[in-house]
Amino acid sequence: MSEHESNIIVIGGGISGLTTATEAAEAGYTVTILEREPFLGGRVSRMNKYFPKLCPPTCGLEINYRRVKLNDRISVYTMSEVEKISGQAGSYEVDVKLKPRYINDKCTGCNACTEACPVEIPNDFNAGLDKKKAAFIPTSQAFPYQYVIDKSACKSDCGAKCKEACKYDAVDLEMQPETLKLKAASIVLATGWKPYDAKKIDNLGFGTSPSIITNAMMERIASGNGPTGGKITRPGDGKEAKKVAFVQCAGSRDENHLAYCSAVCCMASLKQITYVTDQYPDAEVYMFYIDIRTPGTSYEKFYNTIKDNENVKLIKGKVASVTAESNGDVTVEAEDILAGEKIKVTVDMVVLATGMQPEVADLKLPSDIKINENGFAVIGKDQKGIYAVGCAKDPMDVAKSVQGATGAALKAIQTVGRLS
Amino acid sequence: MAEAIVVKPDLDFVKGVIAAGGSSLKKCYQCATCTVVCKVTPDKNPFPRKEMVWAQWGLKEKFQGNPDIWLCHQCSDCTAYCPRGANPAEVLGAIRKQTIKQYSAPAALVDIVNNKAMMPLVLLAPAVLLAVLLSIAGTFGIPDGEVIFSKFASTLFLQIVFTPALIFGAVVGVLGVKNFWGDMKTANNVSSGDLKGSIIKTAKEVAGHEKFKTCDVSADRYTSHLLVFYGFVAAAIATAIGVLYIDVLHMDSPFSLGYGTPVKIFGNIGAIGIIVGIGMMMSNRFKKAEQLGGVGSYFDWLLIAIIGIVGLSGFLAQLLRIAGVAPIAYPMYFIHLVFVFSLFIYLPFSKLAHMFYRGAAMCFNKYSGREAVADADNSIVVTGPEDASEEDTKPDPEEPTVPADEVGSGEEKQ
Repeated sequence: MSEHESNIIVIGGGISGLTTATEAAEAGYTVTILEREPFLGGRVSRMNKYFPKLCPPTCGLEINYRRVKLNDRISVYTMSEVEKISGQAGSYEVDVKLKPRYINDKCTGCNACTEACPVEIPNDFNAGLDKKKAAFIPTSQAFPYQYVIDKSACKSDCGAKCKEACKYDAVDLEMQPETLKLKAASIVLATGWKPYDAKKIDNLGFGTSPSIITNAMMERIASGNGPTGGKITRPGDGKEAKKVAFVQCAGSRDENHLAYCSAVCCMASLKQITYVTDQYPDAEVYMFYIDIRTPGTSYEKFYNTIKDNENVKLIKGKVASVTAESNGDVTVEAEDILAGEKIKVTVDMVVLATGMQPEVADLKLPSDIKINENGFAVIGKDQKGIYAVGCAKDPMDVAKSVQGATGAALKAIQTVGRLS
Repeated sequence: MAEAIVVKPDLDFVKGVIAAGGSSLKKCYQCATCTVVCKVTPDKNPFPRKEMVWAQWGLKEKFQGNPDIWLCHQCSDCTAYCPRGANPAEVLGAIRKQTIKQYSAPAALVDIVNNKAMMPLVLLAPAVLLAVLLSIAGTFGIPDGEVIFSKFASTLFLQIVFTPALIFGAVVGVLGVKNFWGDMKTANNVSSGDLKGSIIKTAKEVAGHEKFKTCDVSADRYTSHLLVFYGFVAAAIATAIGVLYIDVLHMDSPFSLGYGTPVKIFGNIGAIGIIVGIGMMMSNRFKKAEQLGGVGSYFDWLLIAIIGIVGLSGFLAQLLRIAGVAPIAYPMYFIHLVFVFSLFIYLPFSKLAHMFYRGAAMCFNKYSGREAVADADNSIVVTGPEDASEEDTKPDPEEPTVPADEVGSGEEKQ
């Protein structure tokens, strides 16, 4: 078991974790980033655009990747999972399991292994909308730009075609899992969120038709590096999705699912509406909501812009029934509260604005770290050395996550200064 | 744009709804999931979302002549999907209880009958009354010899006491319906319609329990309610035949015709239907308590208890009579009489009043043409954003929303 010591451990390499790590490292502290996936960037790397500025996430992420790359006070472990956290502020110990990548550091990113690989698996980066080879680069923007092999998908009779194809001897199918003991004075939980499982909302029809997608899937469909190259078409038959219904609070603000407001879905849907209206001048978009929550001047302005678009109809009333039609279309049903009638709208595609669920609930935390009833981390007064940021703490958007992460970097630094 | 609406909340009404089982009322945040999952609501001015906000705001007058609270069959599909645990099904039940008071006179009796604290009075008063009347008739006690119930309560006694009781209940109910009907016409701006056709259609719907078939969560209530309903129909037929025997054929009870007679066949079928149906209702309420948001209110259970005891005591009295156990058979028969009497006099005041008001509301829905419209179109299909009227579709999310139905419901007329 190898050991490694740094001032601060950041669990999670998404936008919050990257921010905390770079801010602390640039202030002169050593930081270790632990990332479960083979690449950094987390959920943000899967987005097409940020709201409200509608710029692509790559710019923000690439700056952070560069900051990580140029700063030798930051160590990054991808494909790492925290097994256990012990100790107290000033001297935490974190047991980490490193999963084998089966590709070593000699990888140049030449794509030869992918070309040679005969096995296809669902592409989780694209929310399962397309397939990828079992030897793959997770995304065109991956950092580190290093291939991965999903050995569990390998067929025994493929004869290690990837190994033969690699000119640089980078494929190592004998790689074993490693365990790592990390020490640090402070820990920052930046474990982020996952989309709520839309299948659990049985009246919204997810899974009954490929034309019923989630907002996370919509980001991939609209992304230039996504499954459709950015063309907004519906999965299934590939028809142009011009008539689209956005279903707000799909699981959020619902005691049967997520009791809390996920905070970003209103802005996310308004943003996604622009994906559709920008691509199709004759688009016809519906957004069904309970309340539209766009706090602050810039968000409110964004909302007003969408509201004034004559191709967009915002309807107050939650969709509570979604039915797949035989031609691939989908009918949503809601009460148009302001008109006082039940309405049905048949559209090309339905986007469920599914909420965010915290990942932190699945982490093996020391018993003094509390999780609230919604699964978010509650850092109490007695936990002097562990801080939660971003969506590990509360549902929030990127801007707030970055602000919070910067603040958490300072808190972690103070812990290091006080106790090391 | 609608004129400014001055909300005059009737806090006592709100408190009354909350006390009657609608304690979850204030949790509602008007998302309208309930309205969408409801299978029995019309599409125009649907329920129960609007009723929830009216009740929250204490807009008692909105329930004057409101057919919708009675169109609700309390399937509880809305409650199962409610994201806030606001339990619209139970709240509407509580509102119904509150509005029975508006139509069943004297209103005080509605409060007394459905007040848990008054239970001893409500159950004992008919017993004491019957005991006194039987004592006056000179038959209160356990007669000697073979168990023959007419020795305890003569046919004449039953006719003198029970016929007026039933007439009292029925007349109060019918008068209530008359007022309710007038209010529904006023509230919904309906002046004329096809009354006869509407009654026939309603009768067919009730006979077939059509609305119950659409329920998801309480799908089993179709069977249980059907059993109780037809149990009473069978019991009524048995009674009618009994009256025929006595008053037309001048035969005296006990009818020496044995158990193959229509009286006994219908009577026993009725009893079994009622007992099995009520048993199912009780067990379903417990089995599905989570989805239904509870096991129900006192209002519900009082009726379940009265009907259950009527069925069970009647059936047991018969068995005890056959067994010849006089010391228990007569008391059991007395219990049976007490609860049948209670059923009759409480008819328009207990939950059983639903037979008047729900029937009237279902009929009115056809009479006004609202249901016909909904059936023909099946739904209001939105075809394009240009259909929308400006101020309605672009609300300010920061402002509390005033539902459009506040503006007046005149347009629901055909």
